[in-house]
Amino acid sequence: MTAPHVAELTERDAERLLFREARLLDNGDWDAWLALYTEDSTFWMPAWRNEAETTGDPDRELSLIYYAGRRGIEERVWRARSGLSVASTPRPRVVHAVTNVLLEGEAGGEWAVSACFTVHLYDPRSGGVHVNFGRYDYRLRHGNGNGDGGNGGWLIAAKTITLLNDRIPTVVDFYSV
Amino acid sequence: MDFNTLIDDRPADGLFRVHRAIFDDAEVFEAELARVFGGGWVFLGLADQAAGPHDFFTTRIGRVPVLVSRDGDGSLAAFVNSCPHKGSMLAQTACGNARLHVCPYHSWTFDSAGRNKAVKWKNAGGYSPAFAQTGHDLASLPRFGEYRGFLFGSLSADVPTLEDHLGEARKLLDLVAGQSEQGMELVPGMVTFTFDANWKLQLENCSDAYHFTSAHPSYLRVLERRREDPTTVTARSAWDSNRNWAEDAQGVQGGSFSMAHGHVLNWGVMGVSDAMPLFESADALATRVGTGARDWMFNMRNLTIFPNLQIAENASSQLRVIQPISAGRTEMRTWCIAPKGESAEARRQRIRQYEDFFNPSGMATPDDTVSYENCQRGYASRVDPWLQGYNRGATESRAGGNAFGDTIGLVPERSVAGGSQLGDETLFHGYYREWQRRMAGAAA
Repeated sequence: MTAPHVAELTERDAERLLFREARLLDNGDWDAWLALYTEDSTFWMPAWRNEAETTGDPDRELSLIYYAGRRGIEERVWRARSGLSVASTPRPRVVHAVTNVLLEGEAGGEWAVSACFTVHLYDPRSGGVHVNFGRYDYRLRHGNGNGDGGNGGWLIAAKTITLLNDRIPTVVDFYSV
Repeated sequence: MDFNTLIDDRPADGLFRVHRAIFDDAEVFEAELARVFGGGWVFLGLADQAAGPHDFFTTRIGRVPVLVSRDGDGSLAAFVNSCPHKGSMLAQTACGNARLHVCPYHSWTFDSAGRNKAVKWKNAGGYSPAFAQTGHDLASLPRFGEYRGFLFGSLSADVPTLEDHLGEARKLLDLVAGQSEQGMELVPGMVTFTFDANWKLQLENCSDAYHFTSAHPSYLRVLERRREDPTTVTARSAWDSNRNWAEDAQGVQGGSFSMAHGHVLNWGVMGVSDAMPLFESADALATRVGTGARDWMFNMRNLTIFPNLQIAENASSQLRVIQPISAGRTEMRTWCIAPKGESAEARRQRIRQYEDFFNPSGMATPDDTVSYENCQRGYASRVDPWLQGYNRGATESRAGGNAFGDTIGLVPERSVAGGSQLGDETLFHGYYREWQRRMAGAAA
């Protein structure tokens, strides 16, 4: 028996997927955004334990957002579109800039990828401008024909968002980090 | 400005109105910092935030930086977090452990009891004998006290005892502190957010039953969608199993208690439900504190200890500290407060419920804070300066307690009980009567 074939992720593949995700969030194309995630994907933005460390165990420590399963971000998308949330209407205009994309290795068929982000945000209601910035850590998995086909078949199995400036002006949501 | 004229309080006429200026006037705000925050008891933190010898945490009273430190013998004390030498802030972090606090500017050194241990190059310093005779210790807060792990301080010495200040509200803190024999703790992970609105909007919103179905329908619909899809991976909600907020709910669904010194509770009936992490302790609590207090621990309770502590036990359990920054800007420091020793599964459930509802990245709090900002914009008007949000419940408010509070022996100044559509607003009167008292310079 031969070992199962592990699809090879290139840095260019990773960049394409991350840049595409950024563009979909900026455009508010959230159905296409959700399709980048596996059904069992983890979406995690830890809180900070102190000045230097984020929380590390979502079951014993607080997170800003933690969903084990795509269902969680599907709910968030539903809420943001519902017209029932004043915080989500009108929505801020956002632009995600994703840089410093690095392959961090492969384990169990999933590739670890890290990147940096800045999200510039303009709130038309107040005229206020803000920048959220931090790091992304992904685990990417090849869909083998399942899921979104537009990324060389690569899907997001886990995304961790480390928000460095966590004194949050009023609200932060999935589309603004 | 005569601050008294900003509250139109006419109980005989059944009218209570608040002037918009109390929310956006800079002179009012400066007076609040001096008299409300600087002139009376203010919540500092939990004793558990400095649990071990030499542990410390920092906070502020208004703009004044405060250091709470436990010394080597286990005694807690609170100091102005400012070196007596040049005034530099001493402790730099939110919390930590330090036998010695060394000022980063000129290296004056203090122990964990605030005593000066070193003035750098003292003997060579050419100090006069008079200087040597003045004290160099950290300035203690004029008043500091603890009630069941809740720490309070005052920048003014002219205040009643902490016991008097808390009064009947102690029985409501007991319902928090008593949930575990080991006491309460803050789940690691502090969340700080700001909003561009006055601090009293937060004070009111916590006590505002009227806004819930208007401001949070997206959250309530998400709960409905979860119920329709049992494969959900997300947490069950206490709001879902207890529908005291629903407009078709029958009978008394909740109410409010107003206590002396501006402390206020609004509450809703919630049964002893397995949707709540405390459920695992329901039987043990009934034995230890009695079924009356136990059932109250399961009720939805939003408690304000005036002026800056709120403990919200509804969708989960949150401890909030309100930090006013300016008339139009407020900082909130928030934590998930939880009984020590609860099971891993209960803790996980509590944290998931908390993140859903309370975080500035959650599905409910942002709809509150954005509404505060909308109010703050509206306050710019003086066309009709008097706000009308203080009059629901006028005919239902009773002097003294009621049968619901009797089960924990609560004797409030006023109480209200009613159906889900009552949305009492008379409990805000307690805030503004105390505000008026402190703004008039009364010892508080």
